[in-house]
Amino acid sequence: MNADTSRQNAAEWEEGAQLFDRTTRDLPPGRHQFHKERMMAQIHEAQQAQQAQERPAVPAKAVRRLRLPRPAITLPALAAALAGVVVAGVVTSGGGNGDGGVATGPALTTTVGVATTKGVPQLLDRIALAAAESDHPAVKPGQYIYIESRSADTFIKTVDDKSTLASHALHRRQVWESPDGTKGWLIDAAVNDSSEGETLSLPDEQGNTPEAYLNAPSYAYLAKLTTDPDALLAKIYKETKGAGNSPDQQAFTTIGDLLGESYPPAELYSALFKAAAKIPGVVVVDDAVDAVGRRGVAVARLDETSGQREEWIFDRKTHVFLGERSVQVNKNSGVDALIKPGTVTYTSAIMTRAIVDGIKQTPSQAG
Amino acid sequence: MRTRIRAGDSSAFAELYDTYARAVYNHAFRLAADWSTAEDVMAATFMEAWRLRDKVDPEGGSLRPWLLGIATNTARNQFRSNRRYRAAAEAAAAAELSVPDHADAVADRLDDRQRLATALTALAALRRPEREVIALCLGEGLDYEAAAEALGIPVGTVASRLSRARKKLRKVSGVEESLGKREVARPGRQTRGDHAHAIRPAQEGNR
Repeated sequence: MNADTSRQNAAEWEEGAQLFDRTTRDLPPGRHQFHKERMMAQIHEAQQAQQAQERPAVPAKAVRRLRLPRPAITLPALAAALAGVVVAGVVTSGGGNGDGGVATGPALTTTVGVATTKGVPQLLDRIALAAAESDHPAVKPGQYIYIESRSADTFIKTVDDKSTLASHALHRRQVWESPDGTKGWLIDAAVNDSSEGETLSLPDEQGNTPEAYLNAPSYAYLAKLTTDPDALLAKIYKETKGAGNSPDQQAFTTIGDLLGESYPPAELYSALFKAAAKIPGVVVVDDAVDAVGRRGVAVARLDETSGQREEWIFDRKTHVFLGERSVQVNKNSGVDALIKPGTVTYTSAIMTRAIVDGIKQTPSQAG
Repeated sequence: MRTRIRAGDSSAFAELYDTYARAVYNHAFRLAADWSTAEDVMAATFMEAWRLRDKVDPEGGSLRPWLLGIATNTARNQFRSNRRYRAAAEAAAAAELSVPDHADAVADRLDDRQRLATALTALAALRRPEREVIALCLGEGLDYEAAAEALGIPVGTVASRLSRARKKLRKVSGVEESLGKREVARPGRQTRGDHAHAIRPAQEGNR
C-alpha cells in the first residue's frame, strides 16, 4: 500500500498484533442492539429538532424551545435491567409538555443503610404474617382498583454528548384499573402530556390487547396465581428467564413490582414474601426512608451489575408495606459515575389502595 | 458512504455502527482498560461521529480511521492523567489474574486471562501518545497513513512513536518476544470489514 508500512517487517507486526489478541471481543449480549437503538433514537430526535427549527411558521418562542433537544434518551444506571428500561420508558414518553415542570428537582440522596443477612427469614416471616392478616376487600365487576402513590426518580439525561443528572421531583401518581385489566386510567405528571392524565384501557394505541402476565398483571391474573411459595418462585424464575442483570435480581425485582403498584389478594401477598425469603442474596437494611419520609426497615437486594440496591420498606412495628426505592450503593464507572453512591434513583411510597366504583373516583369521594 | 454520512442519512449511520461498533469497542478497551468504560466510549463515539458528520472528507476510503480517531479522543477524556490510566490498567491486569475460575478452570481460559493481563501491563508501560499509536496500529491493524489520519498527526510521527513504543515494550517485559514464539491456540484476531489487509503478512490471511 505504501512505503511507510514496509518499514515495519511482517514478523514484527505479527508478533505485536498477537499481544492484543485477547483484547478483542464482542459487546456483551444485547448491548450492540441496545446502543444501536439508542443512537438511532438520538439521531431521530436531533433530526426532528432540526426540522422544527427550519420550519418558518413556528413562533420564535417555540423554536427556541425545540432547539434544545428534549431528553432524547435517559439512561438510568441499570440500563440493562428491566426495571431500568421501565423507568427510561416513563421518562422518555414524558418528554412532552407535561414533563416540563417535573424534571427539575435536584438529585435525591440518602444515607446508605447498613445491610445484614441476619434475621432475613424472621423479618420476612413477620411481614408475610402481617400481610396475611391484612384486609383485602373483594372486587366486584364494574369496580376499579385504585392505587395512589408518591414517587420521584433520578436519572442521567444525555443531550447530544453531554450527560447530566436530572430528576423528577416527588409527585403524586394515581392509577385506576378494572379487575380484568382492560380498562384503566393514569394520572402522573412525569408521564402524562396533559394534566387530565391518560387512558390505560385496551386495546392500546397500536390496537393490541396484551394479555396479563407476571410483569403486567391484572387483578384477575393475580387472583389466579398459585399461593404456594415454592411454586410461585419457580414460576417467577421461569417467566423472567433471561431478563435483568441476573436471575436472582430479576426474581427479586419482579416480586417488588408486584408489591408496589398492585393489590394482590391477601394469600398471594403473603406468599410473595415467603417466596422472596428464598432468593439468594436478600438482606435486611436497618434504616430506610420511603418517598414521603416514613422511616422503616427494608428487605433489600444488591444488583451487583448496576451497584444499586432495591429496598422494600416496611413499618418497623406493624410490618405494613410502605413503599420501595433503589439506592446507588456501589461506585459506578463511565457516564454512570454521575450517579454517586447514596443517590436514590427511584422511590415510590404507597399512599392508598382501595376499591372504587369508577375511574377517576377516589375513596374519599366514594364516601 | 461518505456522501451519505455527510448528508446525515440515518441508515448510513446504522450501517456504520453495525460495521464498526466492535472495533471501536475493542479499541476503546485498550485505551480505557475497562470493558464497561469501553462500552460508554463506544456509544459516545458514534454520537460524536453524528455531530461531526459534516467534517468528513467527501473523498477517501474507509471511515474506520476517522471513527477510531474520534474514539481515541473520547477515550482520552476518560483519564486526565496517564498515572490514572496506569493505575486502572494495572488494577485490571491484577483482577484478570486473581479472579478464580470456576469448574471450567481449563488451561485455555487461564491462558486467555494471562494474555489479557500481559497486554494491559504492556499498555500501562507506555506514554499516552505511544499507547494510542500502538492501539491503532497493532490493536486495530491500521497502517501508518490511517493512524496518522485518525490522530491528525504526520505519518513520520506515527512511525517514530511506534518504534519508540516497541522498544519500550521489549524493555519492559519482553512480552512481544515471548508471545511471538507462542503457537496461537485458537483463532484470535478477527479480520473483517476493511481491515488494511495490505499491511498483513500473506500467511496471516483471514484466520
